[in-house]
Amino acid sequence: MGEVIVITSGKGGVGKTTTTANIGTGLALEGKSVVLLDADIGLRNLDVVMGLENRIVYDLVDVVDGICRMKQALIKDKRYPNLYLMPAAQTKDKNAVNPEQMLKLTKELAEEYDYILVDCPAGIEQGFKNAIVGANRSIVVTTPEVSAVRDADRIIGLLEANGLRNPQLIINRVKIDMVKRGDMMNIDDMVDILAIDLLGVIPDDEYIVVSTNRGEPAISDSKSLAGQAYKNIVKRILGENVPFMNLDSDEGFMSKLAKVFGFRKK
Amino acid sequence: MKDNAIVFKGTKEGLYIVLKEEMIFDDIIHELENKIKPSKRFFEGAKIVNFKGKNLTPGEYEELVDILQNQYGMQFLGDYDSLCRSTALSKEESKGQLIPEPVKQSLGNEETALFIKGTIRSGQLIKANGNIVVLGDVNPGAYLEATGSIIVMGNMRGTGHSGTQGDYNTYIAAFRLEPMQLRIGDIINRPPDGKQYKSKVPEMAVVRKGMIIVEPYLGKK
Repeated sequence: MGEVIVITSGKGGVGKTTTTANIGTGLALEGKSVVLLDADIGLRNLDVVMGLENRIVYDLVDVVDGICRMKQALIKDKRYPNLYLMPAAQTKDKNAVNPEQMLKLTKELAEEYDYILVDCPAGIEQGFKNAIVGANRSIVVTTPEVSAVRDADRIIGLLEANGLRNPQLIINRVKIDMVKRGDMMNIDDMVDILAIDLLGVIPDDEYIVVSTNRGEPAISDSKSLAGQAYKNIVKRILGENVPFMNLDSDEGFMSKLAKVFGFRKK
Repeated sequence: MKDNAIVFKGTKEGLYIVLKEEMIFDDIIHELENKIKPSKRFFEGAKIVNFKGKNLTPGEYEELVDILQNQYGMQFLGDYDSLCRSTALSKEESKGQLIPEPVKQSLGNEETALFIKGTIRSGQLIKANGNIVVLGDVNPGAYLEATGSIIVMGNMRGTGHSGTQGDYNTYIAAFRLEPMQLRIGDIINRPPDGKQYKSKVPEMAVVRKGMIIVEPYLGKK
């Protein structure tokens, strides 16, 4: 029985889709069978970020409506073994599916694949409810901004109210030099406020924009800093113990940097 | 009391039948009979463009069209999709989800084309019983589905599906054909991966030997 992980944030534009694409690709590179499920019906992006947009024939709504079989809607990514995408419909909206249908779909997928990553839409309405219903694990993505943290807090409350205990936190787009100068929200403060386990910190990386536009997840590029950070997150999801960062102000910059990317302290 | 329940309204495109919104379906059929029966000869052969007013389900729509055509000998030019669009238009305007208003043009009975002026954007689905002509661009994530052919007088970057009922003789043509995906009948194809080839001339996609191929439609100059 596979694991269904929902990736959510509340606020839009913090990097849910990029995170889903990278973690999914990372898990596939580690030899797991992975389905990326785009729950953002009407504003789908995961297919674009994965560079698979032009292969879409059937989508999630077709599957729940019984127009096609589940396997027909799964797009195999030729670049990675065992990585599949189930795209959302673009011409419909969130009300095209209901939570019962999503629950059935994720259950079916979980029987055959190791990991089902659900890319949740922004907001807390129908789309959010659809995305979380089948999940047994959740990841909350936020950025070091007050508004994003506020929304993440709200989302964590909603996740816990819906029986998803222990969500894990990814802090995206951290500018290391700004944190060092004290101009950006401190990681420890954020973890303090949100009071959930930190799964990883992704440094702000221009390469993400390039890779997103190209449709190639950054994790597949060894030069990308963010890609490295995603690799560590994947290892943590798989249960490996990769050390966490600890931004003590008396530490040197290089050691902070090393910790951000989860290198072991020598 | 039900005097204005059904009104025949003439416009420059032709006759519309305006149905009162609060009427139930059975009343509509009854009222139609009352209205048309006394002057059946007058209505015979009349060209009805479409219904207006009340929202009809596809089943109700079919039934009404059937009655008009077979019992009263009228000609019905519209289709259900354009009814939805024209009634949904006023409601969708407020949502900012406006699909450019189609200009219905009849070219005899079997060759109809849906003319659309403007950009078709991501998430918009244009379906037509007949051909589709777009005077504008079709963006990625937009869908055109026609039982006939598709012509885009602009950039075709979305997904086009011609011959949705299995007609392989239909085609998809555009000034700039850079689609996400093309479908003709039940054949699906997509542009090759890697470097994007940009044609300087207008092109059309047709079916040859069971494959969709793209070629310029103008002779060599």
